Parts: sequence; C-alpha cells; structure tokens
Amino acid sequence: MKLPLRWAVTLLLTIFSIYLVFVFNEEGPLRILINLLTFAGIYGLAAIGLNVHFGLTGLLNFGHASFMGVGAYVTLLLIPHAAGREGEITESGLPFLLALLIGVIAAALFGLLLGLPAIRLRGDYLAIVTIAAAEIFRLLVRDLESITGGVYGIINFSEALQKYRPAFLESFVSNYELNPSQVWVGLLSWTSILLVLLLLRRLTNSPWGRALRAVREDEDAVRALGKNAVWLKLQSFMLGAGIAGLAGVFLAFNYGSLQTTTFVPLLTFYVWAIMILGGVGSLTGPIFGSIIFWVIISETDKLASLIFENANGQQLAGVRFVLVGLLIMLLMIFRPSGLLGKKEELLLNVK
Amino acid sequence: MIDQLGNGLLLGIIISVASVALSLLYGVTRIVNFAHGEIIALGAIVTLFLSGPIDSRVLFLDRFSPLGMSFVTSAIIAVLLCGAFGALLELFLFRPLRKAEVGNIAVLVVTIGLSIFIRHIYLLFATGRVQNLPLDLERRQTYLFFEMTPRNFKVLIAGLIVMIIIGLFLTFTRMGKAMRAVRDSGELASVSGINSDNIILFTWISSSMLAGLAGIFQAIINDVRYNMGFLILLLIFAGTVLGGIGTSFGAMVGGLLIGIFVQVSVALPFMEGHTEAKNAVALAIMIMILLFRPQGIFGQKERIS
Amino acid sequence: MSNSLIRVHNLRKSFGGVKAVNIDDLAFKSNELTSIIGPNGAGKTTLFDLISGFQDEDEGQVFYKDKNITNIQPYKVARLGMVRTFQLTKVFDRMTVLENLMFAGSEVSNDSLLQSIIRTPKQKEYESLLMEKAIKIMKDLNIEQMSNSYARELSGGQKKLLELGRSLIKNPEVLLLDEPLAGVNPKLAEDLLQKIQNLASQGITILMVEHNIEAVMKISERVVVLAEGALIAEGPPQEVRENQKVIEAYLGTGDE
Repeated sequence: MKLPLRWAVTLLLTIFSIYLVFVFNEEGPLRILINLLTFAGIYGLAAIGLNVHFGLTGLLNFGHASFMGVGAYVTLLLIPHAAGREGEITESGLPFLLALLIGVIAAALFGLLLGLPAIRLRGDYLAIVTIAAAEIFRLLVRDLESITGGVYGIINFSEALQKYRPAFLESFVSNYELNPSQVWVGLLSWTSILLVLLLLRRLTNSPWGRALRAVREDEDAVRALGKNAVWLKLQSFMLGAGIAGLAGVFLAFNYGSLQTTTFVPLLTFYVWAIMILGGVGSLTGPIFGSIIFWVIISETDKLASLIFENANGQQLAGVRFVLVGLLIMLLMIFRPSGLLGKKEELLLNVK
Repeated sequence: MIDQLGNGLLLGIIISVASVALSLLYGVTRIVNFAHGEIIALGAIVTLFLSGPIDSRVLFLDRFSPLGMSFVTSAIIAVLLCGAFGALLELFLFRPLRKAEVGNIAVLVVTIGLSIFIRHIYLLFATGRVQNLPLDLERRQTYLFFEMTPRNFKVLIAGLIVMIIIGLFLTFTRMGKAMRAVRDSGELASVSGINSDNIILFTWISSSMLAGLAGIFQAIINDVRYNMGFLILLLIFAGTVLGGIGTSFGAMVGGLLIGIFVQVSVALPFMEGHTEAKNAVALAIMIMILLFRPQGIFGQKERIS
Repeated sequence: MSNSLIRVHNLRKSFGGVKAVNIDDLAFKSNELTSIIGPNGAGKTTLFDLISGFQDEDEGQVFYKDKNITNIQPYKVARLGMVRTFQLTKVFDRMTVLENLMFAGSEVSNDSLLQSIIRTPKQKEYESLLMEKAIKIMKDLNIEQMSNSYARELSGGQKKLLELGRSLIKNPEVLLLDEPLAGVNPKLAEDLLQKIQNLASQGITILMVEHNIEAVMKISERVVVLAEGALIAEGPPQEVRENQKVIEAYLGTGDE
C-alpha cells in the first residue's frame, strides 16, 4: 500500500515522540507514557469535536472548553458524588451510561443555545460569542456553589465508572506499576475515538456530509438551492459539542475530581493547537497531533524548569502557553494544513 | 447605586477608549485583533516597569533596578512604545500576511495565538501577581453626583477629551477621512488613489497607542496584571457589539454603556454575593443583542454571513 | 394582475444613498421568457436579489403566485420553486460535478443527519435514482465526462453549465438566470442559448439578466429595461430596441 508522504512523516514523528518519552524519562517511562497517552486520547477526542466545527464546517469556536465542561458537570451531577465545601454527598444516581448520554446531549444542547444567535451571523461573531459563553459558564459554575460545588469542586464520583473496570486490566496493570483507574479511562477514551471516527467517516460520505461540505464551499449557492444553511451548520455545531462533552467527562474521570480550574480558556487553546497541528479537516489528524503535542508539552516543562531556575510554578506553566501560542501562530502562517491536512482542502484561504 | 454609576463611568471610559481603538483597526483592516488586549496590558506593564519597583523574581531580571521615572514620563513612553509595537506587528506580521492574501479566518486564529504567546511572556516577566502603579493613595471627593478620587476623576476627564479628539480627527482631518473611506468602502479606496498601506500602518499605530492609554487608565483605576488585557477584551467586544460594529461613535457609546451596566449590575438584588460575575452580565447582554439586533445601536444592518 | 407569476410593487432599495432599485410596478407572466437588460449599475442583479430574498428591500413587496414573499429567507423562496443562478458562478469547488448535482437534487429530508447515520434501504434507493437523474442532466448539458472531476477544474463555460444543471435538477418552476452567457465562448453560448429556449418551451418561466443584446433579442418573448434602478421600458424585443429612452440610456455606455 502506497503511503502518501504526509502519512509517513506523521507516523514517524509520532513514533519518534513516543521514543523521546523513554529517552527523557529513566524512571518509570511506561507510567509516564500511559499518563501521556490518556491525556492525548481525551484531548484528541475533544480536538475531533473541534474539527467537526472548524475543519468540516468552517465554524470558529473558541469556547470548546465549556462544551467539555457542560458534559462533565451534567454527567457527574447525575451519578453518586460529593460536592462543595462540606463535601455534601449524593448517594444515589443514574447508571453511568445513562448519565453520560444525558451529559453528551446537554453539551449538544448548549451548542444549540450558543449557535442560535451567532451562526447566522459572520464567522468572527461566533468566535466572540463562544468565548463569552465559555466565560459565563466558568463564572456560573464557580458561583452556583450549591449545585456545582463551586471552587471546592466535585469529588468521589469515580466509582460509578471504575466499577465496570474489567478484570484483565488489573493483571496487566499490576505487572507494570500503572494506575488502573487511569488505564481504564485511557482505554475508554481511545475506544470512543475509534467509534466517533467511524461515525464521522460514515457521515462525511453521506448526503448530510455532502450538504455540510456544500455549506462550507458556498453558503449562498446552498440557499439558492433551497437548503437551510444555518440549520445545517447548527447541526454540525451540536455534533461537535456533543463529542466535546464526551471528552470532558473522560477528563473529569482522569483527574478523579472536578475543579473550576479545569474547563477554562487555556484548555480550549490546547485543543486548538492540537487540531491545527494534526491537520484541519483531517479526521485522524487530531490523534497524532494530540500525541505529539503532549510529548512536546511535557518535555518542555522539564526543559523550562531547568532554564528558568527562579521561576515559580505559575510562571513555568506560562512557558507552556508561550509555546502553545507560538505553535498556533507558526502553524497557521506556515503550515496551516498541519500534519495530515490536505492543502487543497484548506478552507482558510477563503476571505 | 450612584456609587456604582461612578465606577461604571470609569470602567466605561476605559472600555470606550479601547473599543474605539479596536473598532478603528477592524474598520480599516477587517481584522478582529484578539491580541488587542495584550497591547492594552503592554501600556500598563511598561508604565509599571519604568516607574516603579518590581518583583524581584522577574525572569532574568533579578538584578534589574527600577528606573523609577516619574509617572507621567513613564506613561508617555509607554504609549509611544505601544504605538511602536503596533507598527512592528503591522510591518512584520500582518502586512506580510495581507500581501500573501491569507484569509481573514486564518489571521484571526493567528491573533489568538499571538495573544496567548504575548500574555504568557508577560507572565514570565511580570509574574502572576497583582501589582500597582507607584501612586499615592488619595481620598475620594465628590464631583457632581459621584465620589471618586481626584486621580480617577482626571482619568475620566482625560478619557472624554481623548474621545472628543478622536471624533474631531475622524471627521475633519484628511487622514481621518481617508480612514473612514477605507473603512466604508474597502477596495474602492485603493482605486481612488489613497495609499491603503500607509493608512493601515497609521491605524495600527494609533490604535495601539489608544490601547496602551486605556491600559494605563486601567492600571491607575485598578491594578496591573499579566492577564488584564484578556480580562477586559471580552468587555470590549461587548461594548463594540452593543454600540455597533463599524462605527467609532458606536464603540464609544457602547463601551460607556457596558462599563455602566457591569458596575451597576453589582447593585442588583440577585447579584448579591456574586459580584465577580458582573462581567457575565455584560457578556449576556452582548449575546442578547446578537440575538435580536446584531447591528447594535448605531451599526448598519449586517448582511447574514 | 392575477395572471402574473411574479410581481413587485413599490420596490425600493438604496445603498449608501444611491438608489439601486426604484420600481413602482413590474410583473412577470407564467411561462414567459423575459430578459432584463440595462447599462451597468442599473440594478438588475439587485432586482434578482430582492425577488429571491438575498437582499432585504427598503420598501415594497414581492409577490409570487399572489403570495407575499417579501421578507422570506432565500432558501424558502427557492423551495417555493424559484431557483436563481449568480453572476459569478458559485459551483462547489472542492466537490465533484456529480456531487454538486446530487446535493442540489437531494430533497431536504434526504439530507437529514439521522438518516445519514441509519442508512435505510429507502435512502439508498433514493440516492441511486438521484444519481441517475444527475447523469441524465450531465449528458444533456454535455458535461458527463467531467462527472468525477472537482468543480474547480471546470472551464468557465462548463461551470455555467453546471450551475444551470444544479438549478434544473430541482425541477424549478421559475429560473432566474443572472448573466448565463457571461464569459462563455461563442459556440458554447449558442448551445446554452438553445438550451434556455428549450427550457422555456418546456414550460419553465425564465427571467434572464443579460448584456448580450443579440442573444436577448433572439430568444426573449419580452424585454424589460432598467436604468439607474428604474424601469424605463418593457415589451416585445423589437419594440424595446427602437425605444428612444432605451437608446439614450445605452448611449455613452455602449452596447456589447
């Protein structure tokens, strides 16, 4: 099978990145790798959702973290958990899958809510609205302490998912000193990625996908042919939002606790960087982008702490974001097709 | 309530000045510059660095001794520096992008990346601490209905004067008219012999200087933080949307109104105990406007995408 | 005026102080091929925009089959049976010619998200019938050989044909053609013109904006002349050609 150059390069870079993890970490490299791959899976899933927005439909969404947050909060509040300063315990709840389904739908509905005012207007409006909505979400979550636990967050919810952890995992994990809960979450994230990608592939080759591509090409022509371009974009927006919601749930389970500092704009920017790196419009791009991105981020953390000796933790985190910002800029300017995006498919040259 | 009105005016004047700056830039270049907030912050941070003592844990600047310049001098230098920064951005980033015909969406994402980049450089150099300009504490006095410190009152007056100057400039000077021409008709202007490159450069410089000034105002009234630009950016968008995108007058009025709404909302009953969420009020207003009257108060009816 | 299919009344539209459209009354009969001509800037495309819903009128109403369609969104106007093309062709560049056509011909319920996930046999059947229809249209317009090429690879003339094909696959009652012959080579233009005439004889009402006066004179049953947004003449081609006002309007701009 002939492999296009960009695929070869991408696979090589990915393998090289994973190799680097082993090079830079003498102690417990496997544990670190699994940690990294779990995050990569979760963020990759989120980036796939963002790709539905931007890559497939050309929608500018800069509030992706809030979709992830809605998914997480709704799901968590429906299963047994403890919230707030007093650690108020809610003992009963829905089965995990049902709660998850509701959470994902809630995220999609949140997408509908945001999309309604903004999608019929120009692109930059949606960007502003999504950022604003994410900010409102963050403030609401922080202030509605009685529901969301406020700044004290939500904890003790992992059991609802972990109780489904299969036995074979335990044995595998104990051999390598890994964290079984995390491995389970990682496994589920990557499985979700697979399922979502299959779904998306089915959709892009369907009449709906065809309609969406037409909207991306020329909205006026779409309207002149009797199709409601705005509604099509809204549907895509909801779909991407739902996927993000799913990723948000996994992120919460990966941390084991939910804080107001989790679903913030910085998260959105990470996902954007991953999406662009992987290749806008490429279905599988986010996967590789995510892995490589996480390797870069975690290894530069180490580098940064070596160089900037007298910086505090917050400033070190700043180094990460300096890189993220730089990455986004440079990619958009010099290689907007990222790793796997096709240059011909690029939407970005549309004025 | 009256108290909050006074605070609202102060916040409003800052947002106004910054909104006009953003609106001018958008009008002439059609770029929504998300890095605008960082230029605002630059004004404040440079003023801080030049005029006062700084945290010793600034990166690489352990042994930096503050220049301790007079506040006014620092402010002036800061504004000029912001203008220079804007010029650099235009000459080395946005002009090449424009010549390469990179689409607006891509440029927008670049400005977002740029803002992330710059903001965290600030974090590295200015730390995450909240810092204040080295100005003496003052007592509040009464001006008309409002109680505020004399310095804040001067800021208010200065802001109003700046807006009047901008208004006069746009209406009566040749450059101002040229800017409006480019804004209103885009490509046509380059046909009628106006050099859009120069106008764009001028716009970047003046917009950045105004942004820097707004940052200094904000630093005087509140404080200096590495992410102050990002925090206020959303309010600026809200102000611009409220007033009407594409009109400088709209940006001014919108900015003032948003500032007032934000502060006054603190006094509303349901906001008790949730004062930090006052920004959310402004943002919610913005979303409402987009829902029902996207052209804002003074804007022209925008064509759907 | 009830035998008019499309009717505009007191239609006004200005852009920045300039009156782009300023028409008191204008009607188009069913089954007629009407050409709309006039010097550049006369408001012809704006008239199309107003009728098809792509622009909002400052004042006035648009009626279709006596139903007021004045503020209806463009996609709804199209669903009523009125399909328009654009001056600068709007083919879907990164989709194949076949996909362009199938998208156009696919009814809204077929495009549904849910249906596309659950592929019912009914949908598969619909799609294959749709493909047959698309192929037939491509053959008819002589672009069948480009079926699997991306639309952006087509020549200017072929793009015009594709746009026409997209409109036709919807079985429209009314076609608003905005400069269908612009930028098309003479041989192709002749073919296109013949096709348009055939469509008219098949019962489709056609409104055509054109600068090619020869073509206009050849196939139009009625000609409407606009200048500076206002209606200055209308009637059978020969009559309009000899109309003094029309000649004056074109003087100085020259006809093509």
